[in-house]
Formats: sequence, structure tokens, C-alpha cells
Amino acid sequence: MSVQSGPQWKARSEMKVLNTDVPRVDGPAKVSGRAKYAHDIRLPGMLHARLLLCPHPAADVELLNVEPAKRIAGVVTAAELADRPDRTIFLGQPLAVVAAETPEAAEDGLRAIEVRYREGGWAVTPEQAAAEDAPRISRRQPNALTERETGNQGRTERALEGADATIDETYVVPVQHHCCLETHGMVVDFDGERARVWPSTQAVTGSRGEVAQALGIPADRVEIVCDYMGGGFGSKFSIGPEGLAACQLATELRRPIHLMLTRTDEFLMGGNRSGGRQRMRAGASLDGKLVALDAEVWRHGGIGRGSNPGQPYIYKAETDSMRIGSVRTNTDANRAMRAPGHPQASFAIESAMDELAYAIGMDPLDFRMRNLEDPVYHRQLNRVADEIGWYDHPNRETPGIPTGGTNVGIGFGVSTWGGGGRRVCVVTVRIDPDGSVTSSAGSQDLGTGVRTYVGSIVAEELGLAVSQVTGRVGHSEYGPANASGGSTTTASLAPAVKDAAHNARVAFSERLAEWLECGPGDVVFANGEVRSGTNERMKLTWSEACSILGSDPIVATGEWQSHLQTSGIHGAQAVKVEVDTETGGLRLVKMVCIQDCGLPLNRMALRSQINGGMIEAIGYGLFEERIIDPWLGVALNANFDDYKLPGSTEMPELVAIIDDDDERQQVIGMAEATIIPGQSAIANAVANACGVRIRSLPLTADKVLMGIQEKA
Amino acid sequence: MSDSRHSRRAFLKGAGGVAAGGIVGPSALASSATESTTRAPKRLAGELDVELSINGAKQKVRCQPRTTLLNALRNHCDPPLTGTKLVCDHGSCGACTVLVDDEPACSCLLLAVDARGKEVRTVEGLANEDELSPVQAAFVEHDALMCGFCTPGFVMSITACLEKNPGASLPEIKSACAGNTCRCGTYPHIFDAAVAAGGRMRKGGSK
Ligand code: FES
Ligand code: FES
Repeated sequence: MSVQSGPQWKARSEMKVLNTDVPRVDGPAKVSGRAKYAHDIRLPGMLHARLLLCPHPAADVELLNVEPAKRIAGVVTAAELADRPDRTIFLGQPLAVVAAETPEAAEDGLRAIEVRYREGGWAVTPEQAAAEDAPRISRRQPNALTERETGNQGRTERALEGADATIDETYVVPVQHHCCLETHGMVVDFDGERARVWPSTQAVTGSRGEVAQALGIPADRVEIVCDYMGGGFGSKFSIGPEGLAACQLATELRRPIHLMLTRTDEFLMGGNRSGGRQRMRAGASLDGKLVALDAEVWRHGGIGRGSNPGQPYIYKAETDSMRIGSVRTNTDANRAMRAPGHPQASFAIESAMDELAYAIGMDPLDFRMRNLEDPVYHRQLNRVADEIGWYDHPNRETPGIPTGGTNVGIGFGVSTWGGGGRRVCVVTVRIDPDGSVTSSAGSQDLGTGVRTYVGSIVAEELGLAVSQVTGRVGHSEYGPANASGGSTTTASLAPAVKDAAHNARVAFSERLAEWLECGPGDVVFANGEVRSGTNERMKLTWSEACSILGSDPIVATGEWQSHLQTSGIHGAQAVKVEVDTETGGLRLVKMVCIQDCGLPLNRMALRSQINGGMIEAIGYGLFEERIIDPWLGVALNANFDDYKLPGSTEMPELVAIIDDDDERQQVIGMAEATIIPGQSAIANAVANACGVRIRSLPLTADKVLMGIQEKA
Repeated sequence: MSDSRHSRRAFLKGAGGVAAGGIVGPSALASSATESTTRAPKRLAGELDVELSINGAKQKVRCQPRTTLLNALRNHCDPPLTGTKLVCDHGSCGACTVLVDDEPACSCLLLAVDARGKEVRTVEGLANEDELSPVQAAFVEHDALMCGFCTPGFVMSITACLEKNPGASLPEIKSACAGNTCRCGTYPHIFDAAVAAGGRMRKGGSK
């Protein structure tokens, strides 16, 4: 390939770095405790801040006096939040903030604040909110509002009447929490003129503008640093009320402020995945066609709108119609959470598909394939079916019945996502005369391995080892970048890195051509050497080549190149589960996920992402559910004791497969898709094992046991 | 006090501390806030110097009797040791795991004063100069980390397990980190790393 042509990804067979297993470059910093997260920033004179949260779902704040807090030893100031309302509208709404010399003193200060509430009427469950006499949650609209209607319901009704088998079932998903191990918050260091800020964020570039506005200074005087961040999953796009509070204190005190939410604050005000209720009336013909689907979809996003892409999701129905809307409650607004809306939609449609398959006595795998148009899903479903042992499984067309002992079942689900990018990032690659190479992007690494590929794409281009290129991210000075959400980072950033690497190589080739006695297009970069492509003996080591630069380093920038990325991905998952039919207890035996993603940049990091998606779906499927007492309006499990996350002893054998039959030579983001169908596959596996269909998540033992009792 | 077996959980409950309650709402947050109109919050007065032995070096740390070992490490040591993470402050996630006399312990459940006379090891003390310990190196090689926030806790739990028994079986490894939570979902790679590190420690006899 000539260096004069535009940037192109190499053929996979020629790649030395990309599409291989690359240990992430920041691994050593993370395993040794050297990696500094926002939580870990310590500055001279820094104060620790804590927020006061309203403990009622809705209340008039009759009295709020922060003065007693200021008299507590160690407390430096206490203040009402600048925009605190007189009437709160969700459980955990922040009202005031305390800054103190130590975390202990900040907590003391919080307790000294004088506050009196008059509890207002509130609704914390969708049932309460939808009741006739429910208090109005938003002035602008009714609590329950149908927002959109699609399809022709009359036609669907007629098609349902003509179907050979029908179901009419309602599927319920709970509110799930992101549970980022690092809570939301930031450290702000503001001297009145300039600010340096360490937020835990998915949006380095976006945070800069938000902080500038909060501090009332131009954006070019704000520097954002986010070298490491402890998980976001969609909840950390904005600096939030906690960031505003930190800026408010920094403005007042001109001392560095460290404000990170406590774990309980995080549960109450740090966002969540919306719950929902979906009534699915569906019909199939005996030859396995989904002939009709009418869906009534309600999203439960607290004071937010909730999220759901609608039905029949990935499947194709001959006729379909839907009404979709949301029910608001006096709880924290939902936020984007890894594949927003999709796991919710998946649970309803995948369960309904399974129910229909058994209703017509058909293998649910076959039934799925008959109603999935894209052949990629057929290939992927066959692959996971093979891997999980479906073809040797006894209950393929009829579910098992409770044996009194252990029943084994298998279930399936599929996923989709976009994963394409857009033009935002500007990346800089610099080659210095001493041989050092840096690649810098103002993006952020949420744990997906961004920092590693920001370097490794350049290493591939220049024929170097990954360790010879320093990938730098997490700093607003490194150039603009998009927020990391919707799996858009890879397809937005990697093409810009590739472009910058390409431009650096072209510029370097021009400088070296004369020394190598060849044309710039004939300069070859490989194996840590630079040589002439026309004369084998003309070659330079990397450091010799760089020393030729004298005092003029190569500095090249790169922008997004549409042709280096694309969108549209597919995945399929299969689960094998053991049901103890005496206790209702479940044990996951094995879980398989195949995922396509175009050109893989780092296979090991991809497998980590696939595992991570499956494991978050295990949590959603088996354990996780926000519980608020409907009578008292009290959060019952806003902590890690009572909100259960999947742990080491619940791990099944996990098989993460990168779909190498996908030969697209473009990059695509994939992390969202892997979290979508796992819980659906688990529910289907339980039904397959013992005929007990659980239509609400999580699949706790009590629900399974009740189902078994009902069958007996 | 150093001999006592006080857990911080019991301690906080006794003191009526808000952080100890699992339930949030009128019964916890509100009561503590509203009651404060009539009485000053309960707090233990005074600071004291606590001598701790951390990663083999003695250090005098100025803190309060109620200061947790985790808080002492992260906020009262000089320089601050922030490798040990604060995640739940409740003993339910393992991110704050340190070794106390070679036993893994949640440093958020331990008072700094109760760590006197004991040898505390943190994640910062595992690497030898720039050379990672076998467990740390295996974590990197097997990609046993994503965001990395849970990683120090897992590294400490696995280190404690393998130092006692480098031949630990997979179920033993799983139960050694049963108290650690990883939201990114790195468990399978952590298991691979632990098995590999055990193998290396058996061969090298290294700590
Ligand atoms: S912070 Fe100590 S166990 Fe979670
Ligand atoms: S790597 Fe992110 S929580 Fe474990």
C-alpha cells in the first residue's frame, strides 16, 4: 500500500498489534494503586464536602438552617444549594452542602443542619402514580401519559383473531442501578481565575463547558483531568447537582473541594435504569410465523421519561401495533444505562417469543430464526446453540416439568446496536527526535481500553511495539472528543487516531526518503525499523530514524474518517441453568455470548467487555432491584448489603466469542449489545427447565418456587 | 482498646451513626437531621496520634478514635495511600481490602486505633520497586481489570489466599474473593489470573 493513499486499515492477516490480545497499558498503574481516580485526588488545603438529601419522596422544606453546622469543629462552611427548591419532587433530592477539613467533620456538619419538612402527597410506585387521586408529579403533564402510537391496532386485532396460537401476557422489569464502584463527584481547584477539575466523567470535553458555566469563567480557563474513572455505564455524562455544589463551594471558599457522593447518595440521586411494564398480545401460525403483535409499553423512569426502543424490537411481525408511554413517580430520574431501553425490550419480546414457540410446539430456536430476517442472527444462534449443547438437550420443543430434584434448562436471546461514530475527535500524534512517540486524545477511558488503542493503532502504523507509543487520554487539553456513551467512542475516536497515525507516517516518510534513497511512498515501517521498500540494505533503526529529525519533531493531527468505521452489530446469547425444584433456587451453569464488531482492535479487551455485559445481565436477571417501601416512601436497599450484585461464587462458566465471520474492515462500538439479552435467556432457560415462566425480574427463588407450586 | 474486638459496624450502631443504617428515609436521614434541632450530634471529641505499621514502615497518624483504618490510609497518612478504595463503607464490597497480620480485612470496618501493633499491608506495598508481584503481573497479563476501581481489593484478597496456599483450587480462589464486588464484570479473567499467579508462586516460591 502506498503511503500517499488515504488511511486504510491493514488486512487482518498483516496486523501485528491490532486484532491480537494486548494487555492494557494502564494495567500496572491500576494493579499497584498508582492510578489516581477523582476519589483519590489530594491537594494542599483540600476540603471534604457532603450533600444533605431530602429523605422524603416529596416535601415542602419548611425550615433549612445551615448555621448550626458551621459551629461544628472542623466544618468550614455549610450552604443551601444555589438552586434548591422549596418543594422537593424526588426521594433523595439534594438541598444543602457542608465542607469540612475531614470527611468525619463533614458528616458531623451534615447532622447539625436544622431542617423541617412537611411531607407532601407522593407516589413512589407506578400503581400509586397512575391512581385516580394520585398527586400530580409534574405540572406539565399527567403522571401516566401515552406518548406515541404505532401501527394499526385494528389490523393487529384481526390478525390476532386469525392466529393459530396467541398469548396475552405482561412482563415487568424493575429499576436497576448503575452501581459504578466510584461514585459520582469531582475535585475542583479554583483560584478565582482558573480552575483545574478532576471529575469522574464519561465526558471530558463536555464537562469543561459545564464547569466553566458553573464557575462563571470562560471555558479556556478550565482544565479537566480524568486519567482514570471507576465506571460510568451511562450515568456520568453531566457534572450533576454534585458537581454544581462543588463549584459553588469552590467559588465561595477558593479552596480545593472534594465532593464525591456516598454510596447511599449514589443510589438515591445517581441515576438508574428505568423499570417498566409491557403487555404483549402476540399470535403465531403453526408454521412458526409471528403473525401479530400488539404491545402496550410503559416506562418507569421516576421523574424522568424512562427508556425503551419499542416492540417487536429485533423481530419481524407480519402485523404489529404499539402504544408507548411513561408513568412518573417521585423518585430519581432514570439515566442512560448501558444499552438504554434495550434489555427492557428484550425481556418482554424474548419471553413472548418463547411462550409462543412452546404454544405451537416448536423449538424456540427455530421459531426465533423464522422471525429474524438478518442471516447473521441465524449463524450466531447456531453457534451459541452448539456451544451450550442445545442439540443434545432433551426439552427442545416442550419444557420440562418439575422433578422434585434438579431440572436443567437452556434459553436464548439476541441483541442489536448501532455502534457507529461521528466527527468530533481531533487526535495528535507526535514523534520526537529521541524516539518517543505519543498519541493524545481528549477522550476518556471508562475501562474499555481506550487508552490502549489510542497508542496501539499508532504502534501498528509505525511498525512499533505497543510499549513504544504512549497513549494519552483524559485531559481536556488533548483536543475535543465525544462523550463515551452509546458505544460511540471506538467508531468516533479510532478513525481519528488512525488518520493521525497515517499523517504522521506520511510526514515522517517524506523526511526519511532522502536518507533511504527511495521515494516517500517506498518507505516501510516494520519490526521497529524503517527501511527502503526498494533496497533491502537501506534501513535505519527506530532511534536512528528519529534522530534524523534533528530538533523538528513530527506533529500530525487526525480527524474522523467515515470510511474507517461503520455501524450495525449483532449478538446472540445462550444460558444453561439448573433449577432446584424443591427450593426454587437457580444456579447458572454456563453462559455463551457471540458478538460481532467489525474489525477487532484488541481481542482481550473485547472478551472482557463481552464477559462484563453477560455479568451485568446476570445481576439484572437474578438479583438487582431497587426497593422503595410504598407506604413509607423509604428506600429499603440503597446500599451494597441489601442491593445484591453478582459475585465470584455466582459465576457460571462464561464463554465470550468474537464473531470472526464478520469480515467488515471497519471498526464498530460493541459494549452495549453484550448486556441486552442475558436476563431474557436466563428466564427462558428457567421456563425450559421446568415449565415455570417468570414474567418479572429479578428471577428470585421465591418467584420460581411459587411457580412450581402453582404447577403442582 | 487495641485488644478489643469491636467492629465498626457495632460501634456505629451504638453511637447512633447514620452511616450504619441500611434504611434511608424518615427513619434515618430525617430523624438525624431533625433531631439535631434539639441536641448536638454525638461525636467523640479529640484527636490522637496513632502509631501504625504500614507496608513495613512505622507511621504516626493523627486521627480520631472513630476514624476507620480506610479513612486513615486515604486521608490521614502522609503521603495519602489512596490505592485502597472507598466504595460502600459498609463491609459489603471488598474494595477496601488490606492485609492485617497477613489476614484480609475490610479496612472500612476496622478502626485505625484497632490496627495499632499490627502489620498492615496495602496494595502500594506489594510491588518490589517497579517489579509487580506475581498476582499483580498476572492481573495485567490476563486483563483481570477494566475500570480498575475494584482491582486493588481483588489483588489483596487473592494475594492473601495464594500466599497461604499457592496451590489453591478454583473454588478456593472464588471463595477467597467472594467478598469482593466488580461491577465491570472481570471475574472470569480474575480467576484466570489467580490460577496463573498461583502456578508462578509455586515455582518461584516468591511471595
Ligand atoms: S468499602 Fe469496605 S467493604 Fe466496601
Ligand atoms: S474493573 Fe470496574 S469494578 Fe471491577
